Amino acid sequence: MILAKIALGALGTLAVATVYTFREGTIRVDVDEHRPGGSHVHFWVPAAAVPAALHFVPDDKLQEAAEQAKDALPIVQILAEELEKYPNAEFVTVDGDNEHVKVSVRDGKVYVDVQDHGDDVHVAVPVSTIKDIVESVANRKQTQ
Amino acid sequence: MIDRIRKYVKTFSITTAAVLFLTPFAANAQTNTASNDRWLHVRVISSDNKGETVRVNVPLELAEKVLPAINKDRLHNGKITIDHHDMEGVDCRALLAAIKDTKDGEFVTVQSHDSDVQVAKQNGYMLVHVTEKRWSEGKDSKDGKMTEKSRVEVKVPMKVVEALFSAGKDELDVLAALRALSAHGDTEVVSVKDGNDTVRVWMDSKSSAD
Repeated sequence: MILAKIALGALGTLAVATVYTFREGTIRVDVDEHRPGGSHVHFWVPAAAVPAALHFVPDDKLQEAAEQAKDALPIVQILAEELEKYPNAEFVTVDGDNEHVKVSVRDGKVYVDVQDHGDDVHVAVPVSTIKDIVESVANRKQTQ
Repeated sequence: MIDRIRKYVKTFSITTAAVLFLTPFAANAQTNTASNDRWLHVRVISSDNKGETVRVNVPLELAEKVLPAINKDRLHNGKITIDHHDMEGVDCRALLAAIKDTKDGEFVTVQSHDSDVQVAKQNGYMLVHVTEKRWSEGKDSKDGKMTEKSRVEVKVPMKVVEALFSAGKDELDVLAALRALSAHGDTEVVSVKDGNDTVRVWMDSKSSAD
C-alpha cells in the first residue's frame, strides 16, 4: 500500500513537472540536407528551459552577445511583444522554382520554413520564449 | 472504501493541475488577429526563368511600433534623411507645394530624355506616374527609338503625402505617413511594372495577400 502511494506520488510529481516544463511549448529545429553525405539535424527543447538555462551562461559571454546585438535588441524586443497580438499570420512567403521560404506565426509560435534545392530547414520558436530571451539579454546588458 | 475515495481525490487533483497548466495553450490557440487591423501587403512577381513570387504582409500597427526602433544608415526615429542627389533634380517639396492648393486633375509634368514624370491630384489622392525610357540607338541620336523600360504608378492619399513631408527639409517622415495611412481605408498604393517584374503594394484589413 505504501509503495502504491509512493508510486502515485512520484507519477503525480512527474506529470506536474512535465506539464510545467512544457507549458510554453517546445523549440524545434529540423535540418535535412537531401543529398549524399547531407546532414540531418533534429532536436527539440522545452521552451521554458531556455530562459532558465540562460542563468547559467557566464556573464561575460552574455554581455558579449548583448553588445553584438545592441542594435537589433530593441527591434526584436518590440517585435516579440507585438507578435503576441498576431498568433496566426503569414508575414513573408517566397515561392520560386526550387526555393520556398515562409515566415509565419501559428498558435503563438514563430515558424521559419525554408526549402532550398532539396534542403529543408524548419525552425519553430514560441514568441514568449523569444521575448524571455531578449529580456534576459537586455537586462544583463543594463547591469553591465 | 476510504482508500478508493482518496485515490479518486488524488487523480482529480492531478488532472485539475494538468488542466490549469495547459490552459495557456488553449488560450493561445483561440486568440485570433483583431479584425480591425490594417495590413500593408507587398507582392513581387517575377516572370523570368526563376518565376519567383514574394509576398510580404505587415500589420501597420506593428510597423508603427518597430520603425522608430530602427536606427540604421539614413533611417532614424522613423525618418529618412534624403539627399538632393537621390531626387535626380526633381524637387518633390516644390511639386507638393504646387499641387496642394490646385484643383483636381491639374498636372505637373516633367519630361526628360531618360524618364517622364507626371504628377496629378484626384479625389484626395496624389498620383505619380514615372516612365523610364530605353533608347535603342543612343539617346542623342535623332534616329534613336524609345521603348518603355519601366512604369511606376503611385497612388497615395494626399494626407499621407503631407505627413511624409511634414518633417524637416531633408527628411521624409515615414512614421507619420504610416500613421496617416492606417487611418485611411483600403487602397492600392504602388504598382510597378519593370521588365519581367511586377510589384504591387496595397493596404486592407486582411492578414493574407490573396
